[in-house]
Amino acid sequence: MSTHVDAPAPVERKAPTTTQIGRSIPRLESRAKVTGEAEYIHNLRLPGMLYGKIFRSTVPHGRIVRIDTRAAKELPGVFAVITGEDVRALIPDPYYGPAFHDQPVLAIDKVRYVGEPVAVALSEDPHIAEHAANLIEAEYEDLPAVFDEVEAAAATQVFVHDALRPAGMFPDLKHLHGRTKTNVALDFTLRRNDVEQGFAQADYVFEHVFRTPTVAHTALEPIVSVAEPRGPQALTIHTSSQSPSFVRSEVARLLGWPENRVRVRTAFLGGGFGAKLYIKLEAMVAVLALMVKRPVKISLTMEEQFYTITKHATTVHLKTGVTKAGKITARQCEAWWNGGAYADIGPRVTQKSGFTAAGPYDIENVALNSYAVYTNLPPAGALRGFGIPQLVWAYESHTDLIARELEIDPLEFRRANILRDGRPQATGTIMHDIATVEVLDALSSAMRWGESFDRGKGSIRRGHGIAIGFKACIAPTTSGAIVNLYGDGSCAVYCGTVDMGQGSDTVMAQIAAEVLGLDPQSVSVIHPDTDVTPYDMATLGSRSTFHMGNAVRLAALEAREKLFAIAGKALEADPSLLTVADNGVSAPSGRRLSIADVIKSTFLMQAGNIIGTGSFRPTYTSPSQGDGQSDDITPFWMVGAVGAEVEVDTETGRVRVTRLVNVADVGTPINPGIVTRQLNGGALMQLGFTMSEAVRFDNGQAVNASLADYKIPGILDIPDQTLAKIVAGCQSTGPFGAKGVGETGTFAVSPAIANAVHDAVGVRIFDLPLTPETVYRALRAAQHNPLEDQQ
Amino acid sequence: MIPFDLQEPASLAEAIALLDPDDPSVRPVAGGTALMLMMKAGLFQPTRLISLRRLEGDLRRVHVDEHGDLHLGALVPLSKLELSPLVAEHAPAVSETCRTLSNVRVRNVATLGGHVAHGDPHMDLPPLLIALGARARAVGPRGERWIDAADLFVGYYQTALERDELLAEIVIPAPSPDSSAAYVKFTALSADDWPAVGVAAAVRRREGVILDAVLAVSAATEKPIRLAAAEAAIRGKSTSSGSFDEAAEAAAHEVEPLADIRGSTAYKREMVRVHVRRALIKASHS
Amino acid sequence: MSPQLRHISFTLNGNSVTAEVAPHHTLVEMLQEQFHLYGARESCGQGLCGCCTVIVNGRSVSGCLYLAAFADQANIVTVEGLAKGEQLDPVQEAFVSCSGFQCGFCTSGFILMVNQLLEKNANPTEDEIRHYLSGNLCRCATYPDIISAVHAAATTLRKE
Repeated sequence: MSTHVDAPAPVERKAPTTTQIGRSIPRLESRAKVTGEAEYIHNLRLPGMLYGKIFRSTVPHGRIVRIDTRAAKELPGVFAVITGEDVRALIPDPYYGPAFHDQPVLAIDKVRYVGEPVAVALSEDPHIAEHAANLIEAEYEDLPAVFDEVEAAAATQVFVHDALRPAGMFPDLKHLHGRTKTNVALDFTLRRNDVEQGFAQADYVFEHVFRTPTVAHTALEPIVSVAEPRGPQALTIHTSSQSPSFVRSEVARLLGWPENRVRVRTAFLGGGFGAKLYIKLEAMVAVLALMVKRPVKISLTMEEQFYTITKHATTVHLKTGVTKAGKITARQCEAWWNGGAYADIGPRVTQKSGFTAAGPYDIENVALNSYAVYTNLPPAGALRGFGIPQLVWAYESHTDLIARELEIDPLEFRRANILRDGRPQATGTIMHDIATVEVLDALSSAMRWGESFDRGKGSIRRGHGIAIGFKACIAPTTSGAIVNLYGDGSCAVYCGTVDMGQGSDTVMAQIAAEVLGLDPQSVSVIHPDTDVTPYDMATLGSRSTFHMGNAVRLAALEAREKLFAIAGKALEADPSLLTVADNGVSAPSGRRLSIADVIKSTFLMQAGNIIGTGSFRPTYTSPSQGDGQSDDITPFWMVGAVGAEVEVDTETGRVRVTRLVNVADVGTPINPGIVTRQLNGGALMQLGFTMSEAVRFDNGQAVNASLADYKIPGILDIPDQTLAKIVAGCQSTGPFGAKGVGETGTFAVSPAIANAVHDAVGVRIFDLPLTPETVYRALRAAQHNPLEDQQ
Repeated sequence: MIPFDLQEPASLAEAIALLDPDDPSVRPVAGGTALMLMMKAGLFQPTRLISLRRLEGDLRRVHVDEHGDLHLGALVPLSKLELSPLVAEHAPAVSETCRTLSNVRVRNVATLGGHVAHGDPHMDLPPLLIALGARARAVGPRGERWIDAADLFVGYYQTALERDELLAEIVIPAPSPDSSAAYVKFTALSADDWPAVGVAAAVRRREGVILDAVLAVSAATEKPIRLAAAEAAIRGKSTSSGSFDEAAEAAAHEVEPLADIRGSTAYKREMVRVHVRRALIKASHS
Repeated sequence: MSPQLRHISFTLNGNSVTAEVAPHHTLVEMLQEQFHLYGARESCGQGLCGCCTVIVNGRSVSGCLYLAAFADQANIVTVEGLAKGEQLDPVQEAFVSCSGFQCGFCTSGFILMVNQLLEKNANPTEDEIRHYLSGNLCRCATYPDIISAVHAAATTLRKE
């Protein structure tokens, strides 16, 4: 596919002599991270800074009758207590959000979930702020609430919002029209050929319903933001954000300011996983800082993160028609996404993931409906996979059930139906640079598929299972980058990609170093600062290596062109024949100058800069309304397959994953070590969502909002063997052939494990997670001796 | 955390004098790991804490007396129990239990006394102490008294200790040569989770016959309790799996598990059944 | 309510220091606010994740559950105290060479815990490593590389 390039693209004159690509160099920030000295916004203290502590709603849906802040204000050491009404005095319409302008800075008139911010107490001492927040009292008139996504979508009486307020900021959400008397924020529809006809052609039709619960990101650096007024007219926000450019434009919009008066900067993030996208605390601290004319910091606790952003719970109905020979003729999918009280990026998840809901299969007839639904739960947003793991859970559990029913080997059934390079996906977009078949082959060999193994005895039974998922990278999005060669020949890359552990600093340095003939360890990567670094859509959706990688490459190429133009004079050579290596420029004559000397040749001393800029935005065709068809839905596809070997204790229902293999099409890996860690990390994170993680609610109140009761995988929970297999292909449009990998490891973990459990003990689990009790109950039911709950 | 006062007495008598029998917001603190959790969550807001960290002497000692009874000072950190050769020799099940009790940092700081006196039904040692027939020595303004471990836990986060009493030591009687004990726990959500069910068993056996057994369950129930019916069911029976099944069945009938995020009542009842059997097998084979 | 500040003295990474702390201040809070040491950091707030790990008198503690007042007269070591000038300690070196971290937020805690483990057990098995580190969480799930780093550090230390 072609790519749109804003800056003139310098032509690559010769085949690149890659020396930095494919090298597993240590991360640039290694030393800072092992000495405890890495910068996180968590560490930031500013002179005169106040700490804010949030007072939160205790009811799931209610009209605010009264907020009593008197006792809090009287506590010695309290600087101010601010409510939603106070905010409205500064900003008449204080609602934000990437898809809908639906979320108030602090609750106004109504609260819509337990944990919604209602007021903030400010003090120089965080303990006093906490004490003051405890002294705030609120009275609510209870309103009926709705929690289940399917019920909420069908509701005729209970509405979380009186009217929908689409934001229209992202081009592909512009079609979201305001609606009333509904909890459905977006209804995405895809139709490919005639699904009913496809079912008519089938010998068998299978239908199943699968569910996933609300889960939480629990980044170990809890969300934190600091706003610092620079006089009444300007503001700096220091924030643990994955999307500083968005924060700038959205805070500027709220304040009615031009963007150039809001500066947003980040540091390293102690994990993101999608939690730190769009607006979290930034609007709140910005408004508070402007009101009190002091820097304001709000650091969430781990518990508060559960009230701030979650991953969508889902219900997915699947119906598939298949011939006796095992050819899928039609697939229908309805997916309900529990978006919580505020849309956040949910409508985008609904659409962007929704169109892949039929799976990586070549199916003639497809009908998909995907609903973003408001409920009275904490807001749901992106979490490593952007909805894909929920869909893969459904379609790969379903696909396995069909293969079993047809008595076809699950791997062969998938291979027979797999979507191959050059074939159209359900949107009509032709698949390119997608190694589905190679991924299945690599999985088969890594799993020794088809060979017999010890199936256990007594109460321990063993089984294995596989699954495969795919994802389209989000589109259309833009990244910009600057590459700056300083007077001494050292180099800095200015880019808005946030390094939250995925290793982007190192990869961007490798790309710039490759183009400019430098040692990547010597390249400095300037962290996002919207006053300094160019626009970047956000660090999300595995987009950075591809988009920012391309932008950095273009910027480096432009800098190199300028360098060659100068060097051509100094070396008395045709610039088009020059090459770079080892910090220097060489001419065909053999003459060579260091980059520093080239720059000195024009500035006459150690001075000046050589600056290249790059901007990258791939082409895109919006899916048509009604049928969701598009000939160019994504710049690249990601494919991930997983094999799991499990042991089930039939007396307790406990499942132990003994071996987890994930295989991914990663294009050409820039740094294979980092790629492997991303794949394993994604797979093990998803292991938690598979085995134990679920936020449990009682009338909208999260009852396990802590790491004591919401158990993420520890080192004892990981399999005996965790293996990532890289299928190296080439993303022809990617920087040096690379594509994104941050989410790929997550896709297929859950169904692979459930399929392995089925293989081991013959029971099927339809609802995540696979807790011991869930599996135990299924085992008892299969023995026609269901576990009875006494009243 | 919300501000409070802290006092650091230098002797047990001084510490007891600083406790207030009428004020629940005044509490003793040893390692503080459990209390701090409650304070950080806002579940407990002290006005005053009495730190026991300056107290010395037998409170910090592990020793065996002339009768072979094992004395464990209340201020002994759990990591010391875990690594003590005396404990390994005289109560190996205690050493083993400590190895998977919470985590290394908690064990380094948390004390035996705090672990027991907190009254949290999810703690690992209380059922084992009950099974081993341990006794606790409590000291208060009216002098000292001995409390059987089985009588120490009276409710959810409630012990038989008065507000102005402190635990001084736990004594595990010398085991008879034909006895052995074991503790097994079942964690439902992750390996390092709080237990959903904990079962301790101590058995005396001779020539393949169980002379008597003490069984105690924790975590699933509101407090650690003895399983009298299960004990009766196995007394005098052979150490075969059939008799273990009978005891397990009796245990499942006599417990009233509390439902929570780690399992329903019905499920935990089944897990009591499974783990009573597993505890008996483990105790009989150690 | 303003409980009295108390004056405490202790050794911090080899230096004698003093601090003013209130009873409700935690150790990790004091290290950050008064000594600008941010390597120990609060995350879960419950002693489960290990991000706040600090060594007190030779034993690891959760700095978020440990009162600052209890540091009086103690010998405190934080991750910042491990390297000798430019020279990283062998565990730090192993975490770099094995890439035993991603976001880095939990890394200080893991490094201190591994130092403790290797002091007690020069050649731990994988099972012993896992049990010792079961109270440290890495949400990036870099666990396989952390295990490799422990083996690598153990090998280095045995040679020394």
